Amino acid sequence: MWKQIISKLPKKSSSKNHSSSTSKTSDNGAGKSGNSHAKNAPAVKPAADSGFRDGNSKGNGPYEALPSFKDVPNAEKQSLCLRKLNLCSLAFDFSDPTKNVKEKEIKRQTLLDLVDYVASPNGKFSETVIQEAVKMVSVNIFRTLNPQPRENKVIDALDLEEEEPSMDPAWPHLQLVYEILLRLIASPETDTKLAKKYIDQSFVSRLLDLFDSEDPRERDCLKTVLHRIYGKFMVHRPFIRKSINNIFYRFVFETEKHNGIAEFLEILGSIINGFALPLKDEHKVFLVRALIPLHKPKCLQMYHQQLSYCITQFVEKDCKLADTVIRGLLKSWPVTNSSKEVMFLNELEEVLEATQPPEFQRCMVPLFRQVARCLNSLHFQVAERALFLWNNDHIENLIMQNRKVILPIIFPALERNTQKHWNQAVHSLTLNVQKIFNDVDADLFKECLGKFREDESKEAEIGAKREATWKRLEDIGNQKQKSSL
Amino acid sequence: MAMVDEPLYPIAVLIDELKNDDIQLRLNSIRRLSTIARALGEERTRKELIPFLSENSDDDDEVLLAMAEELGVFIPFVGGIEYAHVLLPPLESLCTVEETCVREKAVDSLCKIGSQMRETDLVDSFVPLVKRLAAGEWFAARVSACGIFHVAYQGCTDVLKTELRSTYSLLCQDDMPMVRRAAASNLGKFATTVESTYLIAEIMTMFDDLTKDDQDSVRLLAVEGCAALGKLLEPQDCVARILPVIVNFSQDKSWRVRYMVANQLYELCEAVGPDCTKTDLVPAYVRLLRDNEAEVRIAAAGKVTKFCRLLNPELAIQHILPCVKELSSDSSQHVRSALASVIMGMAPILGKDSTIEHLLPIFLSLLKDEFPDVRLNIISKLDQVNQVIGIDLLSQSLLPAIVELAEDRHWRVRLAIIEYVPLLASQLGIGFFDDKLGALCMQWLQDKVYSIREAAANNLKRLAEEFGPEWAMQHLVPQVLDMVNNPHYLHRMMVLRAISLMAPVMGSEITCSKFLPVVVEASKDRVPNIKFNVAKLLQSLIPIVDQSVVDKTIRQCLVDLSEDPDVDVRYFANQALNSIDGTTAAQS
Repeated sequence: MWKQIISKLPKKSSSKNHSSSTSKTSDNGAGKSGNSHAKNAPAVKPAADSGFRDGNSKGNGPYEALPSFKDVPNAEKQSLCLRKLNLCSLAFDFSDPTKNVKEKEIKRQTLLDLVDYVASPNGKFSETVIQEAVKMVSVNIFRTLNPQPRENKVIDALDLEEEEPSMDPAWPHLQLVYEILLRLIASPETDTKLAKKYIDQSFVSRLLDLFDSEDPRERDCLKTVLHRIYGKFMVHRPFIRKSINNIFYRFVFETEKHNGIAEFLEILGSIINGFALPLKDEHKVFLVRALIPLHKPKCLQMYHQQLSYCITQFVEKDCKLADTVIRGLLKSWPVTNSSKEVMFLNELEEVLEATQPPEFQRCMVPLFRQVARCLNSLHFQVAERALFLWNNDHIENLIMQNRKVILPIIFPALERNTQKHWNQAVHSLTLNVQKIFNDVDADLFKECLGKFREDESKEAEIGAKREATWKRLEDIGNQKQKSSL
Repeated sequence: MAMVDEPLYPIAVLIDELKNDDIQLRLNSIRRLSTIARALGEERTRKELIPFLSENSDDDDEVLLAMAEELGVFIPFVGGIEYAHVLLPPLESLCTVEETCVREKAVDSLCKIGSQMRETDLVDSFVPLVKRLAAGEWFAARVSACGIFHVAYQGCTDVLKTELRSTYSLLCQDDMPMVRRAAASNLGKFATTVESTYLIAEIMTMFDDLTKDDQDSVRLLAVEGCAALGKLLEPQDCVARILPVIVNFSQDKSWRVRYMVANQLYELCEAVGPDCTKTDLVPAYVRLLRDNEAEVRIAAAGKVTKFCRLLNPELAIQHILPCVKELSSDSSQHVRSALASVIMGMAPILGKDSTIEHLLPIFLSLLKDEFPDVRLNIISKLDQVNQVIGIDLLSQSLLPAIVELAEDRHWRVRLAIIEYVPLLASQLGIGFFDDKLGALCMQWLQDKVYSIREAAANNLKRLAEEFGPEWAMQHLVPQVLDMVNNPHYLHRMMVLRAISLMAPVMGSEITCSKFLPVVVEASKDRVPNIKFNVAKLLQSLIPIVDQSVVDKTIRQCLVDLSEDPDVDVRYFANQALNSIDGTTAAQS
């Protein structure tokens, strides 16, 4: 592909271009030659660098603007479009804003023309146009994403969220290229059968790789593009779902690093929304194996909103899944990360909202053990958020219907809060919850209180007994060993 | 102890404890599995405890992790090697859980157990386990499988070996990148157990597939295998099969792959031999040193010494040195810093003349780098250069730069210099030290950063050790004691600190004649912090000086302090008094 493009440019300019470009261009298609020629550090060799620039401006003479579409007869428009696509199939180095200023502007104008052309009705796009357009898009957007600069790496581990997103300097071109791709895919003039020859699996898979881009603007474009592809190209749907799964697995189980999880989940949210009922097993497996484990990574905050939406979609579609989801949440419940815990509680409320009594009963014992721990959290937001569960009528109903099981589990936590929680709001909210139980079932409340007092007085004794038991086990073991010697 | 008569059922205790709501208690009980096992005895451990554990894989990951670890050392509790196989089922189920840490620990434990098992047991139970995991429905099982092939393979029959090899090759082509990554990262380990006839025919084919994977995350791990595989192959095979791959990888379009190559390249040089190193690997390495991506250059720069060690000096000077010169003014400070941390090691490789001609200018420019880490990395390795170019040249060319750095505005740089001073002093000798560094040593005592002052005090002690008390009496003690009149109490405090460090080196006589009067004087300071530090210091002087001095001077001073208005001063004075009484009591 590169050979074709280059052959249309004068020899001199192409070679010069290589040697002065940085990773972006060289990594693209010209990988090998780029790496071997292209030198870092223009600062090191200012003389050589300016030499290149001179060569460039001379060599790039023919990089000239093409006539506008409205200046040519209809019959020539298609061939003009092809020429324009060719012209744009050259990625410029944006790391140095002083380089190729004129050419960059010509390309930007040409891209703008193409955006308009693709958007306006001209009759079906020919296969050649689609082929060349996809080629042009590929040359421009498929590049190795730059690693984050080192400085950020240390901070990065501490707070991913507060870091400034890095913006791609090539965005003025990239944006237009994405625009062209989007319009091409969305256009009713594009024949899907023809287009899928070029927008193939390899194209899609490289598109998915780009979701790790640091630039939020780029990820936003990618999201729209991928969503359209998913909508239009039925053949790619299983592949896209599978690939996203693989990205999730790698993220959860290996790297915990990916910039595009939120965008993927946003797309999936609307895909899940469209799932037909009853849900296919494949989709349930996806919920259990990919979505639920996504709660584990510590940067959950970056995509929790979208994840929570996906999860509740599932539960709303099939309320039998509530039990599975809640158990999943419990399994990855945060131990020390309070802000994450608040997110879990938010999500829990949304899931419980859609939960019916049978599923609720199946998971309530482990669930309320966890809720009890949250009630006693020293972080007042966590305790408060847990207490707010009683403000939700549906959840309160579920709890009250099952109070005989739930109250004994959470009673010690409630009582400890009223006795010694430092936070005033938590204190009074707890009293309120206790009052609800007491009003509904005073006998049960009294019974639990009695049991609590009894257990409290025996606490030390139980601990001592446990130690004694282990001690005895050890003695027995020692004796056995001696006798066998 | 009425409870002793109750019958005790160890398994019931465990079951009970594992039901507990408190995860810490569950963890504790798993950590004491061996206690249960010993109480049960070997047979009942095999028949009751282990089956129970096999079914208990639904707990929190943390508990499962502990269990996976405990089981790895459980062979003695089930009755020794011949019963080792009973431990496989619980570990097998732990190999299939979701959480990576648990699986990895279970794989570790399986490897430990498998490597001790008898060959017949290996064939009867371990190999089937590997096959089951490798055919697992969920990726977790297949990922775990990749890590235990090398254990299974060793003691197997030929038929099974063929089967294992073909199973592994399937894992290398698995549909899921997760599994292929695991296969790639374990290939080297597996290959070490495979007979050389199959290495070329089968393992290398798997390797080739992995190196062509469309996921860069898989290729990345394949690179890691290059060196390991290279060492297993005959040199000519290595040249034919591995070399092209690595040369290719060094130009991969993904910088992460190139980064890996940069990290691994020098290991391959040994495997391919000097000729190929010269013709193929040197150019590849030079490319990496000049890569577009700073990360790649960082990795490559960090290996420059290791790589040069494999070349003859001419080659290094001809090909590598020009790159090193470029890197020393690289636009990325991290590249320069990586270079600075290893470049000193090149001096012995290049020899004296080349070091002076080529390296010295680079050292000097790195010593003046604007980024403190770069300077620091150079300073901390100066002794290596010293050995090559000798002290005279070092002091002529580098010392001015070092003296300049002694006043660097980054305190960590100053700290590095101070820590290097005793070494420098021992190499330069007394004469040089007196001229240049003496003043600096005193200046550091008044630094505005505490760590520097502390290090400076320590430095005085080490100098006193190096040059002896007599020299220290002349060149250090007067200057230090002068500072006791400094208006700033923190600086007065440093005098006390310096005395406490130097007194043991200087001995009783100097301590009594020179230090003690100053300390006693300081006990009348107006700042309480000084006074309680005097008390602490006096306490530390007790073992050094004679009992008579203690009784005459120290005790009196402390008694005065113990009546001070400040509570802390009284506290430390009393502590010191107590310790005097303690030693006297012990002596009498």
